[in-house]
Amino acid sequence: MKTVVLGLGNSLRADDGVGLYVARAVKRLVESPDIIVAESSASGLDVLDCLCGFDRAIVLDAVQTGEGKVGDIRRLAAPSSGRHMTNPHSTDLAMALELGKQVGLPLPSDIAVFGIEIADSGSFAEQCTPEVAAAIDRCAKLVLQHATAPAEKPSNAGHHVSGMA
Amino acid sequence: MKQITIDPVTRLEGHGKIEIFLDDQGGVKNTYFQIPELRGFEKFAEGRLAEDMPQITQRICGVCPEAHHLAATKALDALFHVDPPSPAKKLRELLYSSFYVTDHTTHFYILAGPDFVMGPDAPVAERNILGVIGKVGLELAGAVIKTRMQNHKVIQMLGGRPVHPVFGLPGGVSKAITEEQRKEIEAIAAESVEFAKLTLKVFEDVVLKNKAYVDMITSDAFTHRTFYMGMVDASNKVNFYDGSLRVVDPSGAEFAKFAPASYLDYVSEHVEPWTYIKFPFLKKVGWKGFVDGKDSGVFRVAPLARLNAADGMATPLAQQAYEQMYATLGGKPCHFTLAMHWARLVELMYAAERMLELSRDPEITSPNVRNIPKSTPDEGVGVVEAPRGTLIHHYTTDEHGVIRTANLIVATVNNAAAINMSVGKAAQALIQPGKEITEGLLNRVEMAWRPYDPCFGCATHMLPGHPAAPIFTYDSNGRLVKSYE
Repeated sequence: MKTVVLGLGNSLRADDGVGLYVARAVKRLVESPDIIVAESSASGLDVLDCLCGFDRAIVLDAVQTGEGKVGDIRRLAAPSSGRHMTNPHSTDLAMALELGKQVGLPLPSDIAVFGIEIADSGSFAEQCTPEVAAAIDRCAKLVLQHATAPAEKPSNAGHHVSGMA
Repeated sequence: MKQITIDPVTRLEGHGKIEIFLDDQGGVKNTYFQIPELRGFEKFAEGRLAEDMPQITQRICGVCPEAHHLAATKALDALFHVDPPSPAKKLRELLYSSFYVTDHTTHFYILAGPDFVMGPDAPVAERNILGVIGKVGLELAGAVIKTRMQNHKVIQMLGGRPVHPVFGLPGGVSKAITEEQRKEIEAIAAESVEFAKLTLKVFEDVVLKNKAYVDMITSDAFTHRTFYMGMVDASNKVNFYDGSLRVVDPSGAEFAKFAPASYLDYVSEHVEPWTYIKFPFLKKVGWKGFVDGKDSGVFRVAPLARLNAADGMATPLAQQAYEQMYATLGGKPCHFTLAMHWARLVELMYAAERMLELSRDPEITSPNVRNIPKSTPDEGVGVVEAPRGTLIHHYTTDEHGVIRTANLIVATVNNAAAINMSVGKAAQALIQPGKEITEGLLNRVEMAWRPYDPCFGCATHMLPGHPAAPIFTYDSNGRLVKSYE
């Protein structure tokens, strides 16, 4: 089974880069040649390019839910589509995936999304705030666990997996 | 264990928003369209090496990294006083044309498409790309996805990476292409031309054959008579990569034409108390407020502005589409904001045709892709036409090439005054005392800014996303009466 671990984010915007940093940490831990680690600053439809050809995908990104604590790691339920988009020029991930599926792209059947609760995505900085930085290695281990486990049923998604005191 | 629900409202700060204030009668008193600005970035750049700017600035934006990459690269050419060899300029333009094909395609099908194919009053759940596919068919959707993916491949081939090219260097580009790569690019370019033809046909069938849409495009609510700015080549044809900046007045007469490096002689910035954005305006006309007409220095950029500011398109099929657009909409210049969508497709055709031309250029596989800079750096301006309009990078450095100042004027900032006016005018025309403020109505207000495809500090793009620009409507006591998020 071919798995892609895809870190998303912007490495100039403080905590927004956390998905990329987790991906780098995963890359240092990975031994299996069947797990490919990738980084992208893309969103919307562009993410499809990174997911094609894999059986399983693990997407890493920053989230700001206002719930829990900064640095909390969450397995997100598949984001639902609507007016919400990851940037104003494109569509959201769920809709991009649905579109890709409809036109017959070879997309993974198993997609997990890990989100790290962040504090600051507005400042121009090339590192995360301390609480978010502290979550990077912890999240990388969880991602690796997931990447090496047997495929899950989608109904298990949407759990708060770590970080709540 | 719990299900995560994400409240998008927490994500609003720092992103775009529209506020509409009503008067006692329920008519529109004021509207404010706010976008974040880049002052933090300019500080961030100070003290860095100038040659890092093409890499750093492209990370500002998750959507148009190629535009920032090339504006920065051109600023470095000027800063280090080095002129790239002709094959390098052509390779830059080839990459940029391919990028334009992807960007204009995305805008039309993902953002503009739903308003026109599904209609402005369609329920939100249907007014999206999936709804569009349901109507126009999967075959076209496949073509959209294929065109984007193939052109991403071209960008990767030329730029070394899929998203953030390691490509532009002061004096040229990082590598030449092989004959085999050239052939592959040529084939993709030829397919892109066919795709542009198909897209213009879709526009004709879906939009132009529907009288209600044509009436909306040409209606006063979506019209502003402004100045227009765009880059032109030596024959005054639209050019995205290089040339002079040309400005035409609201009657279409040339008002100014200048080398991009002298933009400060032509453009000043106006400050308002309610936003950090500085509104650029034409210095020689002056700031008269958020008003249009020949006495107001407000100008517009982006596809329609580029077409208005030029005398035509440099490739045959794009020229044909250009002539058809102006003939249909009553001549030049065209002041209908919604015609921006059509102009974007004329440009899609030009980008594809230009890509094909360049892929067949005998010089394009030349190994001569770099002149090594030898002069002491001091100051440089680099300008390109980003898909969303004129993009200016201006750096000064010390003699070691360390950035002292960086000034970036992005397309959305150039359009900021006009976008405010467009939103205000649409709101005033559509929101009437005693008339219920429906979602379809507020979507029409949103349709006033969508043609500009503004950038709302899109450098951040966390999941699960946020509304592009929520609209908040307040009554005369400042109470929120309707929000559209």
